[in-house]
Amino acid sequence: MDDEEMRRLLEQSGYDADLGMRMAEDAQRVAAGELSETKFYGRYHEELLAEFGQDDREFNELRDDLDGEVVTEADDPDGLADRLASLADTEGLSRRELMAKGGAAAMALGVLAGSGGSATSVGGDSGGDDDDRTRWGMVINLNNCDGCLACMVACDQEHNLSRGSNWMYVFTYEDDYQEDDQNFLVRTCQHCTDSPCTKVCPVGARHTRDEDGLVLTDYDICIGCRYCEVSCPYGVNYFQWGEPDVPESEINDEHQIDSRGRWVGSRPPEGVMGKCTFCVDRQDGQMGEEKIGTTACEEACSMDAIHFGDMNDPESPPNQHLSAYFDDNENDRSEWENRSEHTVSSFKLLEERGTDPNVTFVGNEPSQHARQVEGPVTYESVGLVDNRKEVLDNGAMASAGGDDA
Amino acid sequence: MSVDTSGVDRETLLRPIHTRTSRYTIAVAAALVAIGVWLFFYYQQLEHGLIVTNLADWGSGGGVPWGLYIGAFIWWVGIAHGGIILSAAVRLLGMDTYQPVARIAELLTIAALSCAGLFILIHVGRPDRLVTSVLPAWPTRVQWSPLMWDVTVITAYFVLTGVYLLLTIRYDLHRLRAQLPDRLEPVYAALTVGYSEREDQVIERMVWWIAFAIIIMAPLLLHGGVIPWLFALLPSMAGWHGGVQGPSFLSIALTSAVSGIIIVAAAFRYAYGWEELIPDAVFRGLAKWLGFFSLLFVWLQLQQVITGIFAAPTTLQHATEVKIATPLYWVAIGLVILAMVYAFATALKPSLFSLPALVGLSIGVLVGTLVEKVLFVVEGLMHAHFDLYSGVPGAYTPSAVELSALVGAIGIVALFFLTVSKVIPVVELHAIEGDHGSSVDATTATAETSNTGGER
Ligand code: SF4
Ligand code: SF4
Ligand code: SF4
Repeated sequence: MDDEEMRRLLEQSGYDADLGMRMAEDAQRVAAGELSETKFYGRYHEELLAEFGQDDREFNELRDDLDGEVVTEADDPDGLADRLASLADTEGLSRRELMAKGGAAAMALGVLAGSGGSATSVGGDSGGDDDDRTRWGMVINLNNCDGCLACMVACDQEHNLSRGSNWMYVFTYEDDYQEDDQNFLVRTCQHCTDSPCTKVCPVGARHTRDEDGLVLTDYDICIGCRYCEVSCPYGVNYFQWGEPDVPESEINDEHQIDSRGRWVGSRPPEGVMGKCTFCVDRQDGQMGEEKIGTTACEEACSMDAIHFGDMNDPESPPNQHLSAYFDDNENDRSEWENRSEHTVSSFKLLEERGTDPNVTFVGNEPSQHARQVEGPVTYESVGLVDNRKEVLDNGAMASAGGDDA
Repeated sequence: MSVDTSGVDRETLLRPIHTRTSRYTIAVAAALVAIGVWLFFYYQQLEHGLIVTNLADWGSGGGVPWGLYIGAFIWWVGIAHGGIILSAAVRLLGMDTYQPVARIAELLTIAALSCAGLFILIHVGRPDRLVTSVLPAWPTRVQWSPLMWDVTVITAYFVLTGVYLLLTIRYDLHRLRAQLPDRLEPVYAALTVGYSEREDQVIERMVWWIAFAIIIMAPLLLHGGVIPWLFALLPSMAGWHGGVQGPSFLSIALTSAVSGIIIVAAAFRYAYGWEELIPDAVFRGLAKWLGFFSLLFVWLQLQQVITGIFAAPTTLQHATEVKIATPLYWVAIGLVILAMVYAFATALKPSLFSLPALVGLSIGVLVGTLVEKVLFVVEGLMHAHFDLYSGVPGAYTPSAVELSALVGAIGIVALFFLTVSKVIPVVELHAIEGDHGSSVDATTATAETSNTGGER
């Protein structure tokens, strides 16, 4: 198959043929190792959004298959490979011919040809379920964490948080049921799929962003009722009780306004609710393409504890970390074959609350009897405030004093 | 079982409108001072934000994000149930004994609902957005957010009660017009616009249906529904969960409501020498209701304590243990039990009855229900399922700013009654002239009053 024919096929698909051609070329470069997958992703994320509305699921499938096909050549019965095969059949092309053009390039074709019910629509699943969308999440390996609090500091600085507003919070705890004296729990917002906070918000300010599952607060709409905070089982919300420590004038719009034009990023203004955004500014490419799929806390962690990425993508950093970690800790099943495959404990926090969190932890879950204790690095020593009430009480007193004076 | 108030003349009924005493002036001044105190503090909140309250974030923050404001909000909605109880009794069950205090109860509903709204206004961080954010969101959020359900049901309750009051007031104003002060003529003209005596029978039926709607809606949907659901549906806090919250909230509401009516009615009787218009029998009856509702209140508390400590899940057990270890909780329960015991004692031995004692105990009940509500909110938030934080349970004592709002709200209710009583009769004309409740006598009553009216 030459370029001509490829273009013809693309044009038949009813979608942007130029885009397809460019993607095909870049996909080849990815396959050849000249272009990183993340870069590739960043480059086409926006355009695919524009082309297919807000649904970029096909694109993820592309990413999956990129690795699946080109790297491992594994057969994926329901995936793109299958579709390509049937596409090749309809068009009278041999599967080998298609692949010859560079498997990845053919994938790009497949993506475009397979999207929406176009004339050349191929067989197989149209992939309408949520699993095909991006769903940002984390795998946090608590066994790696050493309690240095670098993630807390990074988050605090990147998002201009007010004192005590710890969007990222690292617990050090003692637990009668665990051997170590010091255990850690690294807590962000869990960006729950079934989040109570979005359900209870009277004005829809707290919402889940359709395209990637981020749970965000629209600072322009929030009335500051704090119902989301009350309903969240994890205690991750931090209200802006008084004037923020960092004034509006010092924060760029890129940090604050997301790809939809809504004010959801950086610290909230006075009277409005804030919490971890999974660094929405980064995910929208507003801090540079290379920052897509990363977070400030992840970047700051030198212990490789935090892994951020698309939980629906088996090849994303969090999922890869999880499987690699599992593989490294294989159970010896030579004698007892019914033993579990690996010896690693993993959990989601308060899963029984029915929130369907998007953060998975590797390590032990704190028991009912766990107690928070002072960690190896204190919050104060890195310039953070633990108990925010102290700051607020001082603030209240200062305001009252100011008025009296 | 009707109380005989037929000897009372119209002049007695209109006494608040026709008199001006220095006591009245002092009362108005006191109410204004109370409101002024609150405004002084509230101005600080407007200027600096909610940081001037003692609220803070739960979790690592070491605080409680909802406090006195939300507790007081529920409390006022509870007091607003007085209107329902009385209109149920008078309109639907024909218990004419309570006719003299029916309008006072309905006015109390309006005032208390306004205060409830006020507490939501001062609770939120961005009161300026209440209209711009809530109205556009209503169509899409009303099926989801319990807070939106509350706003909706309370608004409906407010409107229905307002219409109900207006319809019954028109009847009275028309017949009493000649005895009412001329300087308020424009107000009366506006209130009675388009009135003709022919509408009475239609109105009578309408009023019955509105009363019926309110009685179904308010207890079952409002205080036995959307208000407790604000808490009972959440997955976060151990002490809030469960179906018992509905009946429990309702019992507290009804207890507060009867106390509220007793206090306001007694105040009017005292101020205007209305011993004949609002005789002891009315208060004796109300005392029995207070006793009965208090019993329900205490019984439903017992349900929660027993299920919470016997073999409850750890987090609920912990929350319940803390609750029963809180002295203030027992003060609240004690105040309610005291009123209950007194009410039942006077029922058995009528000579024990004394109005000042009943009023005192009613004030005690209102203190008790307010304490219980604030504790429910605050202690509920202190015992999250997830309590690994050293900042959980958080600490909270209401600040001066928050407490001042309570003073201001009571001032507003007082000022409301002081003002309204100068404009319209706070006791229905039917209480002294004929039967409003059962339609049997409606025509006679109309004829009678028309005759009297004709003597002008
Ligand atoms: S962790 Fe809390 S704030 Fe975050 S999505 Fe879940 S419920 Fe909402
Ligand atoms: S505080 Fe803001 S985001 Fe949270 S529930 Fe209220 S309006 Fe919604
Ligand atoms: S993901 Fe971003 S916002 Fe969330 S804790 Fe990490 S740095 Fe903070």
